Amino acid sequence: MRQAPNWNLMDNLFEFDRAESSGQIIFRKIFESFIVLGTMYLAWTWGQYTLRISDIVLPLGLARYVDISFMHGNTLPLWNAGLISVLVLLGWARLGRWPYAIAFVLLIIQYAARFTLGEIPHSSNLVGMGLLGFACGQLFYPDETSRSRFGLGFTYFFLGLAYTSAAISKLVASGITWSDGRHLWMWINEKAVDEIARSGFVELNFVQELALSSLLIATLFLAFGLIAELFSWLVWFRRTRMWVMLAILGLHVGIWLTMDILFILSVYELIILAFPWDEWIDKMLERRRRA
Amino acid sequence: MNGKALAKKARTIGTVVLVVYAVTVATNLGEFWPFSIYPMFSQGGNNWSRSLVREFPEDDSTSWEVVGLADVPGAPFSVKKMGVDPIDLANFVSKTTIWDSVRVAALRNMFFGSETPLYQIVIYRVRGELTEDHEVLVEATPYVLLSPKGDQVNPEVQQ
Repeated sequence: MRQAPNWNLMDNLFEFDRAESSGQIIFRKIFESFIVLGTMYLAWTWGQYTLRISDIVLPLGLARYVDISFMHGNTLPLWNAGLISVLVLLGWARLGRWPYAIAFVLLIIQYAARFTLGEIPHSSNLVGMGLLGFACGQLFYPDETSRSRFGLGFTYFFLGLAYTSAAISKLVASGITWSDGRHLWMWINEKAVDEIARSGFVELNFVQELALSSLLIATLFLAFGLIAELFSWLVWFRRTRMWVMLAILGLHVGIWLTMDILFILSVYELIILAFPWDEWIDKMLERRRRA
Repeated sequence: MNGKALAKKARTIGTVVLVVYAVTVATNLGEFWPFSIYPMFSQGGNNWSRSLVREFPEDDSTSWEVVGLADVPGAPFSVKKMGVDPIDLANFVSKTTIWDSVRVAALRNMFFGSETPLYQIVIYRVRGELTEDHEVLVEATPYVLLSPKGDQVNPEVQQ
């Protein structure tokens, strides 16, 4: 007899009652390793860029309360990146319960020092939330299984919330007419200027030309993006997770092709989280055992 | 600890984080990394402002005239080769209201560090708007000139 689908939110996110398997252990460690590597990448990238900043144009977040200029005009950003790297490696190796939490706070400082020129990117937010999830897991849960299950479930929850929140922001700010294809025309031109600034030249690709040539196609592109974001909360449930994440991945591919914006860390994270890797690993291990 | 107790703890932690999330984004214009309401591209059809850079031969006289995107003078200049993020540059230019010597020096530092500029470059502010005929109009205004011989700011921008 087929089992009725379980739509309990906590069970779907955290699976605390599910029997542990090798596939789950390997999958969660792979995801945690991605968060660790992503954190180190952000810490060093932001640290190196901060060396060229000497004036605060727009303080953001923490920088609105603390004078973040102490991070400018010296090598502190690089020392901070080094410290964050050591801490996340300690957290990954389970040497203490606090390293991830301290690394998270230091990464907020690194972000505030880097993004003082007016740019407000969101490509790093998912990695930041993943780090916070594993930090909370380490601090508040008693054993390895529940700690890493919490980290993963926390990430699913805030990933779904993030994309749904993006859709709500659009509907609040622009209403249903947000998906008017002329808006995409504006953004394609805007990003074309960014490309001219970046490389000196711009050449529109086939998809951009297509969107600019037809209001209907441009509108359909935006409508798909809005719908994909609006239903992103369905990643909270195991039964719908893969299909919704594939739609979000499609959204990112669309943004990349039409506006040349690629949230590469988010795309990697979605690829890791979209598929039931744990089940596939278990099946592969079972096949090897039988052989 | 059984599954129910672990789930109850997860609900408590999640609620606390959500409250911190809501308070920080509500008091910080929707942004307190890594928390955000993700407002990017939420305002469709709004006018936008970006930047681009052009290189000129040294001693070339500077024109502060507003031109269409296709008519921007000078040679193409890649900010990437200087290690500058074009979105940082666009925000730096559009969000600066007073172009005093400190701000111009910060712009020069962004491109050349503490070194004397290697090239004569002009930083343009580029604005886009949707016209009543549903066409996208893009215009570029020269803002700042950085050169080995010194810096200049568009007199109209400086006022």
